[in-house]
Amino acid sequence: MRAANRFFSGGGIVGTMLVAGVAIAALLAPVVAPGDPLALIGRPLIEPFTDWRFPLGTDRLGRDVLAELLHGARATLIVGGAAMLATLIVGIVIGTLAGFIGGTVDEALMRLADAFQSVPTFILALAFVSIAGPSLTSVVIAVSLGAWTAPARVLRAEILSLRRREFVDAYRVLGMAPLHIAFREVLPNALPPVITLAAVIVANAILVEAALSFLGLGNPNSVTWGAMIAEGRAVFRSAPFLSAIPGVAIVVTVLGVNLLGDAANDAINARQAQV
Amino acid sequence: MELRPSRRSVLAGLLGSSTAASLPGAAWAQATPRRGGSLIVAADSEPRNLNPAIVASNGVFYVASKVIEPLAEQSYDGNGLAPRLATAWHGSPDGRSVTFTLRPGVTWHDGRPFSSADVAFSALEVWKKLQNLGRVVFKDLEAVDTPDATTAVLRFAKPTPFQLIQNALPALTAVVPKHVYEGSDINANPANTRLIGTGPFRFVEHRPGQFYRLERNPNYWDSGKPYLDAIVYRVLPDPGAVAAAIEANQIQLAAFSSVPLADLARIGRVPGVAVVTKGYEGITYQLTVEINHRRKELADVRVRRAISHAIDRKFVVDTVFLGYAETATGPVPKFDKQFHTADVTTPGFDPRRAEALLDEAGYRRGGDGVRFKLRLLPAPFFEQTRQFGDYLRQALRAVGIDAEIVRNDTPGHLRAVYTDHAFDLTVGSPVYRNDPAISTTILYQGGLPPGVPFSNQYGYNDPQMNALIAKAAETVDAGERSRIYRDFQKLAGEQQPIIHVAEFTFISVTRDRLRNVANNPRWATSNWADAWLAS
Repeated sequence: MRAANRFFSGGGIVGTMLVAGVAIAALLAPVVAPGDPLALIGRPLIEPFTDWRFPLGTDRLGRDVLAELLHGARATLIVGGAAMLATLIVGIVIGTLAGFIGGTVDEALMRLADAFQSVPTFILALAFVSIAGPSLTSVVIAVSLGAWTAPARVLRAEILSLRRREFVDAYRVLGMAPLHIAFREVLPNALPPVITLAAVIVANAILVEAALSFLGLGNPNSVTWGAMIAEGRAVFRSAPFLSAIPGVAIVVTVLGVNLLGDAANDAINARQAQV
Repeated sequence: MELRPSRRSVLAGLLGSSTAASLPGAAWAQATPRRGGSLIVAADSEPRNLNPAIVASNGVFYVASKVIEPLAEQSYDGNGLAPRLATAWHGSPDGRSVTFTLRPGVTWHDGRPFSSADVAFSALEVWKKLQNLGRVVFKDLEAVDTPDATTAVLRFAKPTPFQLIQNALPALTAVVPKHVYEGSDINANPANTRLIGTGPFRFVEHRPGQFYRLERNPNYWDSGKPYLDAIVYRVLPDPGAVAAAIEANQIQLAAFSSVPLADLARIGRVPGVAVVTKGYEGITYQLTVEINHRRKELADVRVRRAISHAIDRKFVVDTVFLGYAETATGPVPKFDKQFHTADVTTPGFDPRRAEALLDEAGYRRGGDGVRFKLRLLPAPFFEQTRQFGDYLRQALRAVGIDAEIVRNDTPGHLRAVYTDHAFDLTVGSPVYRNDPAISTTILYQGGLPPGVPFSNQYGYNDPQMNALIAKAAETVDAGERSRIYRDFQKLAGEQQPIIHVAEFTFISVTRDRLRNVANNPRWATSNWADAWLAS
């Protein structure tokens, strides 16, 4: 009960509301703004709140900013979610193997992690997307490339502390296969701190994706918030709303995810303290 | 921005004069040119090779044309040419020779006299062998006779139209000093970056990432000119910084549309700032849709005409170019009265006709409303080429063609289009340079080897088109040659091997103290001998 209380306190509620809002926007996109959000359907550069058909106005080519914003929420959440899953899976597998097997395997995997951590995350993503070409898959891989080291290291540390425990020896004595012990018995006990990392990964993925799109390395056939900001930059002094609206959307989403992550962290800490 | 000490000396003159300019009415009171003052302008690139005889490109000319002069410059009046290093020129009726009478009493910036030997050397060793454009125009140049110091006779192995040579004079005939280049590796000569010429300004200094500095040539042949003491090119690659610098009177000129189009209306209202749309007609760019004829759908002229019908050129000019462009109908821009014809059958905006043509060609809409899919590669050269790519995807979708946009950086784009041919449609921006034979017919001529950028790598090879181009290349009579090029435009309009959408030039933003702006059709790339700053 205390854990749940911790979660639904202040920040947790705000975070949940913000993220839920973005998720609802993404889900409602095809209903509120059916069809291609990139279609040129209005007079260019209508100011927001002046024409009820385009509540948030239109951009330089006459695209509906509201439609772009809603469909952009989808792209953003898909990238954030997919990048988080990819990162966690890679991080968990590598962290568990390194921690549980130890020795040379551990050394090798951790030096690999050092190598990845020595290159700034964004430079790594930039290099990968420039080579692989801009697409949803390549952006997700690019984000994961720089992010997997954090869950891997955290998990390895957890596993190192767990693998000497009696229950592990007990499973060994029972004759269980080492991999089975590692992934089925030790891993679930080591997971909670890694789960709290998930929010950080999602927030980071959203920012990296926005930055890549801003630099023209996103998928040009779908709407993304970063690309909207870049598009609006050319007319920034005459139509600042074109950059400001997606900018606010990014801030709200990242803030929401971070608050949610903090709340989850508090909740898990409280539960562990209870135990 | 914090100024480094090295820039202070450069800017000192400007700071002094800017206080004078703030006196109301003083700027317009003067009618006669004033001598003196340093002109500070924005530059967005620093070409590795600054020799205009080798690299005939606008980025190079912008700086180099003040130092190294061509034989003649473009002009708004008369026959379209104003003399520079040549005072007169005439071609023989058989097209085998062109005789230039050169200006007497001209000296190089290092003090040596200029003579016909310099013209002969530049023509044979540089324009013909090394220059990006000259390799085509001067390919049949055989010899240059120099009977005396002020006469040079270009001799051609095959008839070469005098009209073409005349049209090529402004951009292709920068004369470099023989005594500096002779016997060296011309491409690696240090004078390619520390220019030595005959122009109104001497090359003084280049600090990479900071500035170029040119100073008055006191021995210029046009005595009394130049009016300016110096020209400083401040390297400002960021468009926002350029706009701010001109508003703050830190620079007096931002040429080549370095101020974004969307900012022009606003900046034009700033007191003391003028937006000038003239002065670039001689370097007109064309916004085109280039087509890969290897795709079976696109090899069908009905499909190409349908795509042309799907494009609303007026909308493109008004939104992508914010009105700073004109709609285009074919490969020769309207400005070129010598060759342009409006009598073409280029399809206008008519999406219904487009759909009917696509149906007729056998490409009906499928269950998802799509007739076929294409890869669309917008060139990354201009913001407008990218934006038009976004527009084109939507315009094609409206008639049932699904074009997926593929973005590349410049080297990637050039490789994909001109070497690997890995595209279906691309948005391009070729330059029209005063004569169709200089850089335009090469986009239509069949049978060129792969890997040559800005040439026909589109798989288009039409015997009728090839015949027209070949005939024009050997037609010496100017009237007949112009007539063939009008036929060339008609055929291009009918077949639409490349779809022309808009023609655009650049916009200059100046402080209104700067005078004699845009007084010839290549002003930004001309010598600025008569430009002056009002006090």
